[in-house]
Amino acid sequence: MAEIVAAALTAHAPLITGKPDVSRPEQRDRLYAGFHELRRRLAAARPDLLVMFVNDHLQNFAYDNLPAFCVGLAGSYEAPSPGGAGLMRLTPRTLRGHPEWAMALLEAGLAAGIDFAYSHDIESWDEMSVPLSFLLPEATIPVVTVYTNCAAPPLPLPRRCLEVGAFVGEFVRGRAAPPRVALIATGGLSHWVGTPETGRINPDWDHWALDHIARGDVAPLARLAWEEIERDGGNGGQEIRNWIALLGAVPGWKGEVLAYEPVAEWITGCATVWVHP
Amino acid sequence: MDHRLRDGVGASVIVISYALNKLLTAIARQHQMKERLTEEDMAGHALSDAERTALSAGDIGRLYELGANPYLIRRVFRRRFPI
Repeated sequence: MAEIVAAALTAHAPLITGKPDVSRPEQRDRLYAGFHELRRRLAAARPDLLVMFVNDHLQNFAYDNLPAFCVGLAGSYEAPSPGGAGLMRLTPRTLRGHPEWAMALLEAGLAAGIDFAYSHDIESWDEMSVPLSFLLPEATIPVVTVYTNCAAPPLPLPRRCLEVGAFVGEFVRGRAAPPRVALIATGGLSHWVGTPETGRINPDWDHWALDHIARGDVAPLARLAWEEIERDGGNGGQEIRNWIALLGAVPGWKGEVLAYEPVAEWITGCATVWVHP
Repeated sequence: MDHRLRDGVGASVIVISYALNKLLTAIARQHQMKERLTEEDMAGHALSDAERTALSAGDIGRLYELGANPYLIRRVFRRRFPI
């Protein structure tokens, strides 16, 4: 049966790659070092498939149709697309999907009462493009996405995200192939985007979350209410749902925080975390 | 039973303007940025007077109050943000 050989949590702000020059060099270098160490460990784990817990930013799912959870069945992902590449200062590129594996996940989910939506066509924004520009510089490994609505409230409960993640973890381990699977969740930590508090970061909340993750204590995160996250982590902090889903897939695993920087110029509390048994 | 969930049922705290978000989504998906919207930009959209006024002024705080999604406000009115 397949094995989860690597798991990581990272931030995903467009300015991380889009405006490296505006940040304080020491902060940028420490965060980039965290991404580079994740890449080294990920490559050493030799995964055959990346399963990504991510969220859209109204680029794909808008107010005419907003799935709480959506499995990406795409044969390929533009990450970034030519349209988004300028803002993120990345070269447009195409990543391979794994539609057969994704379809099996979708079917198994629906059969188990996990009411996934699905999409054959997803234009990645920073949620995939920015972290994978560090973690997967060569587009060698196929990617499957699980999108959770973190950006257009009302949002699914963090507790439900934990359950969905747990299901994905069981599904991965119950399949014979591909044998070596890596999990990556992106987003967060605290940031206020487009609200009257745009630019605020709350390192206290970020450290609270990271401390729990370091202990493998995900229950307090899963109990968070939307209002609490909005107050303490901002509307961008709602993306912690992706992290919670990943942690649900690897019960008992702990986080090793490789970098945490509240980067004011990128308006985001940015972390890179390796998650291990 | 999660008490927050039980107590929260039916007590909506989230303001959404579909008209604002539909228009801002269309602009954001074309990767366009604006200082303010023109009558031409808003033509054919079922916006309230308050929404038209806020869009015409590029009033990002007011748009948030009126139920525009903050990610869309940021995408379209990027230049209005000091950071």
